[in-house]
Amino acid sequence: MTSDAVIQRFMEMAVKAAAKAVRVNSAARLNEALPSIIQLGDKAGPRIFCPRSTEKEKAVIIPEDLFTTDYFDADVCIEEVSGAIAETGSIICTSHGGKAVQAGLLPSHHVAIVPQDRIFETLDDYFESCREAPPTNITLETGPSRTADIELTLTVGVHGPERLSIIVF
Amino acid sequence: MSRSTTAIPFRVNTARAVCDASLRQAMDYSTRTFSAKRAEGTAQVPLEEWRERASAIRMQVLDNLADYVDRFSANATRAGAVVHRAKDAQIARDTVAAILKDRGIKMVVKAKSMVTEEIHLNKRLEEIGIEPVETDLGEYIVQIAGETPSHILAPAIHKSRKDIGRLFADKLGIEYTDDPEVLTKVARRVLREKFLAAKAGITGANFAIADTGSLVIFTNEGNGRMVTTLPRLHVAVLSVEKVIPSLADLSTFVRLLPRSASGQILSSYLSVITGTRKQGETTGAREIHIVLVDNGRSEIVKGEFREILKCIRCSACMNVCPVYKVIGGHAYGCTYPGPMGIVLTAVLEGMERAHPLQDATTFCGACVEVCPVKVPLSKLLRRLRERRAEQRLTPLVERLAMFGFGTVTQSPALFGLGQRMSWSVWPLLKDFSRSKLFVRLPRPARKTFKRSMS
Ligand code: SF4
Repeated sequence: MTSDAVIQRFMEMAVKAAAKAVRVNSAARLNEALPSIIQLGDKAGPRIFCPRSTEKEKAVIIPEDLFTTDYFDADVCIEEVSGAIAETGSIICTSHGGKAVQAGLLPSHHVAIVPQDRIFETLDDYFESCREAPPTNITLETGPSRTADIELTLTVGVHGPERLSIIVF
Repeated sequence: MSRSTTAIPFRVNTARAVCDASLRQAMDYSTRTFSAKRAEGTAQVPLEEWRERASAIRMQVLDNLADYVDRFSANATRAGAVVHRAKDAQIARDTVAAILKDRGIKMVVKAKSMVTEEIHLNKRLEEIGIEPVETDLGEYIVQIAGETPSHILAPAIHKSRKDIGRLFADKLGIEYTDDPEVLTKVARRVLREKFLAAKAGITGANFAIADTGSLVIFTNEGNGRMVTTLPRLHVAVLSVEKVIPSLADLSTFVRLLPRSASGQILSSYLSVITGTRKQGETTGAREIHIVLVDNGRSEIVKGEFREILKCIRCSACMNVCPVYKVIGGHAYGCTYPGPMGIVLTAVLEGMERAHPLQDATTFCGACVEVCPVKVPLSKLLRRLRERRAEQRLTPLVERLAMFGFGTVTQSPALFGLGQRMSWSVWPLLKDFSRSKLFVRLPRPARKTFKRSMS
């Protein structure tokens, strides 16, 4: 079990890296939180991709007219990720279990459901856990995509998502 | 190795750079910002402990470089990659060119990689009709401007937003704007099309893990992820010394690299790629080729400048270097600028070509203090100067002057005579040489400080 202190620390660090982070304790709460996270109130609804393969992903309610199975075409990707690292505020996305890691990269908004029992305290804890047989692709995602290549002015959303929202569940 | 032996015209380059007011302003601002962020990002952490550990791991690799490289190759192969060993730059670029050509690739997306600059890969690809598209925003900017990077992490650091606005208007046909946000969005749109169309991607690697054969790539923009997950073919080009023993060692470098570069706790994306897409997976390239570039390194690692191979390319040493801060990266006239660049260029390209760069140091030691892996830059730079003198590569006038100075200072009589003569001979010298330097220098004092005191 991940302690509350570690979860707390993870959320703080994620926010420091310009992500948004909330914690929910049930599927009902998750669905309550979602509309404000993805701004469902907007006139033209965003196209939402969700793999719907894990229990938690299946619990996500998405209006059918907004749902898409093609992440290339989506504005939002809602998915359960592999875990998180408190030390750096990173979420862990991996190819394990047939996941498409790029699905969280292409849409401009990445909504990551972080399983609360998979939050590692430090980088060492995580890399130790997979050092023998790492999945084909591990991506630590820390905050939104950004660049400072023009006069060091920080701009978010270069090639990856402009927004990263994290739901600890 | 195909080497040019013409010395880099460093003094001419420097003279030009210091006359460029907008460059000076850009360099001053950016290096100051980077250094301040680094200082902030490293203030609250056990930095010394991490540096010790990182340095020890890097030395352990260098002490057994061939073994680690073999281990990495074997494990990468086991994970499904094809590993190529390239002895020199020529073989490296030919290898990459052949891989792409054989598969009929016409356009390839690239994530930033300094070693591909070192081997001049893009030029080779263009020669055989393959379009390399740089996807790191800064690298894209210098590519469409027809330039080379001036900083190893922020390649377009020398350009102002106005320069970039004009460049985009000119090359991409958009309306002029100097708003970084708009310019970034334009690049996102243009490059997104390239990502989706590309059948191959080229990356470097920040680290390579011997135990698992994994490649480790840091990016902030997400282009590294795009390049490695969208096209079916991924070609990674990396120099051999990027290897570290195991994933367990990675944490230390993850802590140090982004902090030393820009003060960030971690870059937005860190990808660890272990081989090709396996059965049942939906992520990753189906074909991965890893080109391990030696380009002299297995000799360098045996020599007296071996410690430069510890470098993890964080760029902290250039950001604090009083010379780099003023002249910027282009004046160095080579791939790697700044303190680490002076040393690396000397060992990669040879003393004949690189020796003028050795003037680009004040021996202030700032680089040594910030280096996350404790490369003893001052020591290496001093040793290079000694080498230069031993090899008589310094200009003749300078050598004669040094010889004269040496002789005179060893004899109190001659030294005193020289001091007394300097005041009277000075006007003659000034007329005789007409050099600007002499005109600007003050006339020597009639009485030396010592004589006035006695
Ligand atoms: S020499 Fe040290 S400070 Fe300079 S780029 Fe390399 S690792 Fe960074």
